[in-house]
Amino acid sequence: MEKRNSKGLEVPLTALRDGQTGTVTSIKTGYGRGRGRGWGFEKRLTDMGLTPGTRVTVVKSAPFHGPLEILVRGSRLALGRGMAERIFVETEKE
Amino acid sequence: MTEKKLVIALAGNANVGKSVIFNYLTGLHQHIGNWPGKTVERAEGTLHFKGYTIDIVDLPGIYSLSPYSLEELVSRKYIAVERPDIVINVVDASVLERNLFFTLQLMELETPMIIALNQVDIAKKKGIEINVEKLEKLLGVSVVPTVAIKGVGIFQLLEKTLEIVEKGPAAKPAEVKYGEEVEERIAKLTKMIGGIQFWYPPRYAAIKLLEGDEEIAREISRIDPQIVSTGEKLASEVESLHGHSCSTVMTSERYDVAGCIARDVQKLMPPIKPTAEERLHALTTHRIMGYPIMALALLSMFYSIFTFGDYVSKLLSNFFYGWEPLFASLFGTGTLGKLVWGGVVEGVIAGLTIALPYIVPFYIMLYLLEDSGYLSRIAFLMDNVMHKIGLHGKAFIPLMLGYGCNVPACLGCRIMETERERLLAAFVTTLVPCAARTVIILGLVGQFMGIQWALLLYVLDMLIIFALGRLAFKTLPGEPTALIMEMHDYRLPHLKTVLKQTWFRLAEFMKIAFPLIIIGGLAIKLAEVSGLLEPIATMLSPITVVWLGLPVITGITLIFGVLRKELTLIMLATLLGTTDFAKVLTPVQMIVFTFVAMFYIPCIATIAALVREFGWKKALLITVFEIVFAISLGGVALRVLTSTT
Repeated sequence: MEKRNSKGLEVPLTALRDGQTGTVTSIKTGYGRGRGRGWGFEKRLTDMGLTPGTRVTVVKSAPFHGPLEILVRGSRLALGRGMAERIFVETEKE
Repeated sequence: MTEKKLVIALAGNANVGKSVIFNYLTGLHQHIGNWPGKTVERAEGTLHFKGYTIDIVDLPGIYSLSPYSLEELVSRKYIAVERPDIVINVVDASVLERNLFFTLQLMELETPMIIALNQVDIAKKKGIEINVEKLEKLLGVSVVPTVAIKGVGIFQLLEKTLEIVEKGPAAKPAEVKYGEEVEERIAKLTKMIGGIQFWYPPRYAAIKLLEGDEEIAREISRIDPQIVSTGEKLASEVESLHGHSCSTVMTSERYDVAGCIARDVQKLMPPIKPTAEERLHALTTHRIMGYPIMALALLSMFYSIFTFGDYVSKLLSNFFYGWEPLFASLFGTGTLGKLVWGGVVEGVIAGLTIALPYIVPFYIMLYLLEDSGYLSRIAFLMDNVMHKIGLHGKAFIPLMLGYGCNVPACLGCRIMETERERLLAAFVTTLVPCAARTVIILGLVGQFMGIQWALLLYVLDMLIIFALGRLAFKTLPGEPTALIMEMHDYRLPHLKTVLKQTWFRLAEFMKIAFPLIIIGGLAIKLAEVSGLLEPIATMLSPITVVWLGLPVITGITLIFGVLRKELTLIMLATLLGTTDFAKVLTPVQMIVFTFVAMFYIPCIATIAALVREFGWKKALLITVFEIVFAISLGGVALRVLTSTT
């Protein structure tokens, strides 16, 4: 995992507390399953607005490791936990 | 005839009111089917307006035109290759940024277009006011504000659309400008693509090549593979410049443009009606309260539909069977009379008494859940559970529906995103004991062995669903898709649209189901009349008697069960000459028989639903698998049960 010269900490989206906001730094794709899968995965997330530099607020997560409810670009998304784990964000200082 | 023809396509995100506009425009002249060779629904309708015969195509609700899903691919191909005269882009004014992201992609496709800025009322409630003229100027595309649910602005939209078709667009659409280093490379590729014959606009193709679009790359490489390799090289240059993949860089920049425009035209004010929807959302997705609310909502819905369906079904059935004596006096009770009544008429009655009372309310409920926004909340709550069988939260709905009737449940599987998920969900759904199977379970095992045995069968069924779901999930090729779904604000569904959607889908289903039901009914009746049933039952006896330990005549009842599952029990009573099954069947036989009846084949109407959604091959595959599976496991159950007692 590349480390940025960041002020905040770079963590997966799932590490944010309810109500916390972060800025997307990267989407971790691949897992050695070939380019096609990584592309589709990343494309799907970016198409929904989760591009690097976007601010994301975690509203809450469904119980038992369920999906996250996030606010991004003025709309509310449900995001499967598996996906959220691969989105890295820089936390904002509070 | 001097009628002028016109084709208009409706495109936009999911849940922006596209189908409401579609229903306003097309009234009762609709045709709903599938795109050729695809499981993506194609809704088409006609409209007569100012001397035009207008063909309106409602494209699936999508968020992007990168061919991530089948829907996106179908929509893009349609716009680029079949070239409708104009595209009406329906935009949700309350989520402008995300919607404009799609608008920008339509503009890149260089299709003539107009924007219906819908749900301006909801936006206003949220405190968002949009400067329409400014939006028009920034995009270079005409914008008509609408409130589709109330029919506001639809007429103006249509007039403006025709004006653009007749006179051409008033302004030139703006071009999305990417960063310099990207633009440079787009220009290079555009020049190369401009030299070949290709149906996508050169700049669009160049942009998509840089984004790593596999479909466009494949098609261009057939003409000139040189261009594709240049595109890949240029894309990797951008990647090394930015540290992100070229596609991410470009998506990001496109979103930035959408965001800039959105912020530029929006005036934010304090929301008028602040948080009624917000509170409802918070409550229905609450980590504890969400579940009882969901259970209550779904149970009461299912219960009322079920009671309603049962009542109407009986009513219709009595009504139709009341004609039997009259019918008999016309055709006689000979072979012909039996064939026509038992084969054709009973088939139609069965179809009507199942389809109308159950499918209609189920469809209505499904659309109400979807339109109101509650479906996405249920998916949010149930995602985790559904993941265990390789599906995500949305699959919970068809699965639940399956307990009422498998037919609408299979049809409802289209709410899943990918074909793989649709098939997986449909397969699992056919294993759910529907109302008819409940009749068998309760009427045989429940009645004669006690409710605890019936419950045991239900639990067993759930375990089997779980196990087979996992197995299918592992064996089916393709990657599991995780949940990523917009949870739009709660709103009142548009009843008229819901009813029309129900009606046209019902009609489409009946077209497939009725011939199947009639042919099936006729074949079985023919076998009965010609005295073939008993030889067939004897032929089946190695399976029914030797392997399953059941009486010979169960072979016949199981054949009839294909038509309607509860017929297995009804025929059993008829053939055994008693409804006191305890006298003629041992407890073990009851369990084995019920078990087999639960799984052995989807009923003919469900098979029709599978054919409608997935084609013959897959429908047949599921059917054959379930026959083999039920029989094998039934025999195993027999041996386990007899060895323990």
